[in-house]
Amino acid sequence: MTSSGGSVFGYIKQHFFFITIMTLLLLLLGASYVRFIVLTDYLVTFEGECDPYTESCFEGCEDDECTEVYYYNLIERHATELYERCGSDVLECDEAFECQKDVNICNITFCDPEVDGEDVCIRLTEETS
Amino acid sequence: MICHWYEAPSYLFFTSDLPALLYYSHFPAMVVALTVGLFVFLNARNLLLNRLLFAIALCFSGWTVINLIAWTNIESGFILFTWTFFAALQALISVLSIYFVAVFVTKKDISHTFKLGLLALVAPVLLLAGTDLNIAGFNLDYCDAFDYEGVAFLTYYSFLGVVAMFWIAYLLIKHYNTADKALRKQILLMGVGIESFLFLFFAMVYIGSIAAIADFYESSQLEFYGLFGMTIFMTMMGILIVQFKTFNIGAHASQALVVALLILVASQFTYVTTTTGIILTSITLVLTAVSGLIIVRSVNKEIQQRQEIQNLAERLKKANKRLRELDQMKSEFVSIASHQLRSPLTSIRGYASMLLEGTYGKLSQKATEAINRISESSQYMAASVEDYLNVSRIEAGNMKYEMMDFNLKDEASHVTDDKRQEATKKGLLISFKSDLDLHGIVNADIGKTRQILHNLINNALKYTPRGTITVFAHDDKKAKQMHVDIIDSGIGMKQDELEDIFDKFERAHNANQTNVTGTGLGLFVARKMARAMGGDVTAHSDGVGHGSTFRLTLPLQM
Repeated sequence: MTSSGGSVFGYIKQHFFFITIMTLLLLLLGASYVRFIVLTDYLVTFEGECDPYTESCFEGCEDDECTEVYYYNLIERHATELYERCGSDVLECDEAFECQKDVNICNITFCDPEVDGEDVCIRLTEETS
Repeated sequence: MICHWYEAPSYLFFTSDLPALLYYSHFPAMVVALTVGLFVFLNARNLLLNRLLFAIALCFSGWTVINLIAWTNIESGFILFTWTFFAALQALISVLSIYFVAVFVTKKDISHTFKLGLLALVAPVLLLAGTDLNIAGFNLDYCDAFDYEGVAFLTYYSFLGVVAMFWIAYLLIKHYNTADKALRKQILLMGVGIESFLFLFFAMVYIGSIAAIADFYESSQLEFYGLFGMTIFMTMMGILIVQFKTFNIGAHASQALVVALLILVASQFTYVTTTTGIILTSITLVLTAVSGLIIVRSVNKEIQQRQEIQNLAERLKKANKRLRELDQMKSEFVSIASHQLRSPLTSIRGYASMLLEGTYGKLSQKATEAINRISESSQYMAASVEDYLNVSRIEAGNMKYEMMDFNLKDEASHVTDDKRQEATKKGLLISFKSDLDLHGIVNADIGKTRQILHNLINNALKYTPRGTITVFAHDDKKAKQMHVDIIDSGIGMKQDELEDIFDKFERAHNANQTNVTGTGLGLFVARKMARAMGGDVTAHSDGVGHGSTFRLTLPLQM
């Protein structure tokens, strides 16, 4: 028993570098799996609907040549709560684009000319349209 | 959450509308790394160096796989789960590279302190990679996590790459200065390979990430170019494998490696569909084939050279064995012949002596002279036979020494007296002197010692045409040695001959001037015997024409 115990200790001592790394890697694997796959504990950002006549919007292109544009704001929400309300596809879920009162994390960011630049933010009037 | 703007991949990685360079940069680099790494590992898995190279190849391949997942997949949770390992694998590549080079240059495992130092660098990354410090969220529109990457954390694990580069450069330069020519070549190849890999990989990935965080998304493709560093690294490892056997892989295994690489590169045609991809894969295949051909030729040449060396060694072994047999036969022949000669010689000398003494009646003057010549010649012949027998015994290791205490000064004096008549006959003056602090007792074989003194004085008599021979006994109290110097005023010797004359059948170059005969074995035998008794015989001369001094040294009995 003594020699067996001694050899195990010797093996650990000899390979402590790789054993430590493998242990930490396994811990990271488990922690990441639980956090991102099981609990979905992270934030998500996606483009929300924005009315350039009443709000300051970002402008996006529908295609590579940018023949058609659309306007959006940025919505940031917690993935766990969003999953509960909408499942995996936010596009098919109207609730995703509104901040409900009982939601802890829900930020809708409109384009700020001072932060994002005058040229980036779009604010249309009846005349410009 | 799924990225609704993008199409889901098939077979984990494959989807359309991706940068043309994506697969070309990822698959070959991963295949080359895994092939070389696995090959080296499987061929000598007990070697730490091989394990470390395999570990680096695994980390790199893992990084490449999760990078492909990030580029092609659309499920946010899965992408984030794999995204955390960018940090972990990059940090591991850094410390494993340092470990690998340290083992490569020192040829042994690193110290525990060194390992703890490496763990201290990598552990924070592995412990914190799953937290918000590394990554906090996901952008569903761009289908990536650049907006949520912690810049400080990204900078730290990228900085580990810089640490690795400098640490490795330090290790390589330090050992380069003390290495021999072959090792210097290996160090250069290793340096070029691993530094190119680390620089390209870490610099391009870091710049690509920072550019993407700063909303320059197109620049994130810079990381594709970083992956080519692995191909450079593995090419250098291939040269080390083939030319220097760095990873203890045999020549045939090296050929198999080349073939495996060709098959793997060619296998890309099965999934490359774009024209650019086909062109790039074709170029890679041609380049791999050319370098593979060079490697195979180099290996064949080496095999041929090895075979020649092996054949030569075999022939030398046989020749050596034959020479030993011949030498043995020669010694046996000399021994038998000498014994056969000794018996009749004893009879010749005995009858000659009896004739000279008048046992068979009075001889005429002419007959006496003739018998004298017979007696002298037989004496010379008996001495020669004795020399041959002694050489034969010494070489066979059969010489017996009966050690006892006796006074060397007295023995030297007696031998001098024995030789006085002979010296006088030659017109030489022989004298004995002594200067002793101690008693002069030595522990040696008295018979052999007398023989040595006889040989040395005979030698002096032979090579001294006129003048004096002095036998001088003295001791060295400090060194606990007794010396007997035989100092002659003879023909002398050059400095470069002083050692040669103790070889078998060697005589001084100017010996012929004195018109003397000899076997050339007297000094050889004298030195061998003296050394066997813990002493020595040495020679000194101030040059040709300035006489010689031969010294017998024996340890004093204290």
